[in-house]
Amino acid sequence: MTRAERRELQEKQRAAKKEKEAAAPAGDGAGGKGKAKAGASSAKATTSQNAQPSGTPSKDAGRDAPGSQDPDGPRGQRIFSHFGSQKPPSSGKTPSSDPIHPAVIRLGLQFSEFKIVGANARCIATLTALRNVIQDYSTPANTTLSRHLEKHLGPQITHLVSARPMAVTMGNAIRQLKKYISECDIDLPDKDAKDLLCDKIDTYIRDRIVLADQVIVENAVKKINDGDTVLTYARSSAVQKILLGAHGEGKNISVVVVDSRPLLEGKNLLSVLTNAGIPCTYMLLPSLGSYLSSHSGNISSVLLGAHSIHADGAVFSRSGTALVAMMARTHTIPVLVACETYKFSEAVVLDGFTKNELGDLSVFPPYPSVIPNSKLLRERSPNSKLELFNPLYDLTSAKDITAVVTEVGIIPASSISLIPLALGR
Amino acid sequence: MSAGPSSLKHVESLANRLRRRQVCGSRQAALETLFVLQKVVSEARFSHIEELLDLVKSIGARLVKAQPKEHSVGNTVRKALHHIREEYNTAAAQNSKTKGPPQTGFSISNFLLTGQPKKHSSHPKSPAVEKLPSVDRMDANSEDFAEGLKPLLMDAMQDIVDELETVYDNVSKTAKDHIHSDEIILTIGKSRTVEAFLKSAAHHRKFTVIVAESGPSYTGHDMARNLSAAGISTFLVPDSSLHAIMSRVNKVILGAHAILANGGMFAMTGSLLAATAARVHSTPVVVCAGQFKLTPLWNLYHEYGALDFTDPSRVLGFDEGKLLENVEVLNPYYDYVNPELVHVYITNDGDHPPSSVYRLIKETYDDEDHELQTR
Repeated sequence: MTRAERRELQEKQRAAKKEKEAAAPAGDGAGGKGKAKAGASSAKATTSQNAQPSGTPSKDAGRDAPGSQDPDGPRGQRIFSHFGSQKPPSSGKTPSSDPIHPAVIRLGLQFSEFKIVGANARCIATLTALRNVIQDYSTPANTTLSRHLEKHLGPQITHLVSARPMAVTMGNAIRQLKKYISECDIDLPDKDAKDLLCDKIDTYIRDRIVLADQVIVENAVKKINDGDTVLTYARSSAVQKILLGAHGEGKNISVVVVDSRPLLEGKNLLSVLTNAGIPCTYMLLPSLGSYLSSHSGNISSVLLGAHSIHADGAVFSRSGTALVAMMARTHTIPVLVACETYKFSEAVVLDGFTKNELGDLSVFPPYPSVIPNSKLLRERSPNSKLELFNPLYDLTSAKDITAVVTEVGIIPASSISLIPLALGR
Repeated sequence: MSAGPSSLKHVESLANRLRRRQVCGSRQAALETLFVLQKVVSEARFSHIEELLDLVKSIGARLVKAQPKEHSVGNTVRKALHHIREEYNTAAAQNSKTKGPPQTGFSISNFLLTGQPKKHSSHPKSPAVEKLPSVDRMDANSEDFAEGLKPLLMDAMQDIVDELETVYDNVSKTAKDHIHSDEIILTIGKSRTVEAFLKSAAHHRKFTVIVAESGPSYTGHDMARNLSAAGISTFLVPDSSLHAIMSRVNKVILGAHAILANGGMFAMTGSLLAATAARVHSTPVVVCAGQFKLTPLWNLYHEYGALDFTDPSRVLGFDEGKLLENVEVLNPYYDYVNPELVHVYITNDGDHPPSSVYRLIKETYDDEDHELQTR
């Protein structure tokens, strides 16, 4: 073959390769959301790999038909593309060679079906599952626990993240755990090292979550007076403890619970509070505007929970919290956020759009029974111009927050960046 | 003066249907009110225009009392009264021109004339009452003159009906100027005016619409279905995500239930949240509404009851059982949005900022009709 012929052949191969590469990511990018949704709606049991080939051709056909010039779809869908696809529940089969511990598989399933929600609950559940993993772990030959255990935990954590994106609390806890692991003394026998680690996990949960909550309740209850009406949104475990604590101290409080779809977590809070005998009012989020316009004199404070707090003072919390804080500020009602210090994250998030998680709509509780099913859209039909979009979080800016109640005290939102300093780090 | 018996029956039937909320939607209520008023005017016997006006006013008062939250009923009655007076004044001005020295519309003597009870006039009465030209030759106070005015009045009311029936088309006329390519529009719940507006713009532009599903009525689902069927790229989101997505939204387009005289409005519940969030992000808020929603009253928002509460079981159903004993459940249907939060009202008569709503009201209605319950 002459040099010219060889070059021709090379060019042809390069062009063919580029075509293949262009076809695959275009199909992936455009069909990403549709693929996973098609997978979710068709059969939850099948793995995402099986759903992909059937999903792609229909998605591409649907994309060409509307006549949109952009290969990635109209601008709206591109704007939301960084959220990734809404995932079907994980099936437990991973490409890696490490088998996943059954406790972790069970937890992953509970996460993806939203049976365990809330930053604290997820963190405690994760640490408990990892504790089981550590107990069942045995160091292979030729390596030490402090070096290998971390590698062993890697795929377990990846499995959990594939069910739902990592919560800030989970991330902080796991980082701390890895630090403990690396600090393990090499000479310790396995059993002692494992017991030590499990102790440290228990201490973390006890100190940073359980005891922190108790201190938060003490601090916050001082701000709630007899006869107050407190407004809260959805369900935060810390806020629930505060309200029960205030009621337990004999203060006559009444609570307004604002709730919203799709999770309708406020109903759980409502049943806990009514069982304790606290008089409550319940409404959905859109009604909040009118309610505050006429009753702003009655509400003494607004108590909110947080998923994570950030260095610029912003609070990342359940979607809808920002609206509640905004309306409260319009009516000059103080807003208190109850948050443990382990939820602190150094990242600065600019708005609720930059970092968020989409929820898969098919797992959420149904609409009220008075509305006929035919009226409602529960799933996106393929090839249509309609998408269902369900962000689970939003960002409350620091100016809407009066104070943050933590176990190191009640601090203004602007001082949140000093929390690591307050903890001695 | 009397109204025909069958027209009274219609009035009662409409009042009952309004009370039972069987009339759905403000435009529908306005149309039904107009049909009733047309029947009343066509069957009414009156010797003086004031009698007809009082009759219409009393019927309006009865209908408004049946359903005070449905403002379009009262607005339509006021508009009909305004048109009746206008037609009468024009005809009377023409009439007085033909008989005596030229008189302008606002002269004192004309004022006095229209206020007098029926006089025995010396002018001969022409036998042909129904024809329009003969009206000019009559004394403005004669019974035949008033009866001869009826065709004009029926025409005027038919104008109002036509305006109501074409309201969606007229509001959507400027749609393509307000929405540009690749914009992201936010709307909540279902409003037929907004739907027509967006569909009309979709003929000329490609854009995306985010619809909030708007509990507890969840009408956003219908809206999303209709819009996507029209080929508009649509996203359906829960109400809680309004703040999160607002940073990417270019415009908020809302519908209104009633526009108050101070420029504020009653709108579907959740509108106040959307408008406040838009304010925080400096996003313009555009309201699409027909002119029949303009209400000359402005102090309604002080009453919490003006919000019109509906079925609480949609919020917390009876299947929750034990929870319901100790819990108060609220379900207001409307929000009051104050004028500072709205940037422009797009009506079938053009675009207006909230600060000039009072002028529109002065042009559309007469001052004495603001309170329909007189004496």
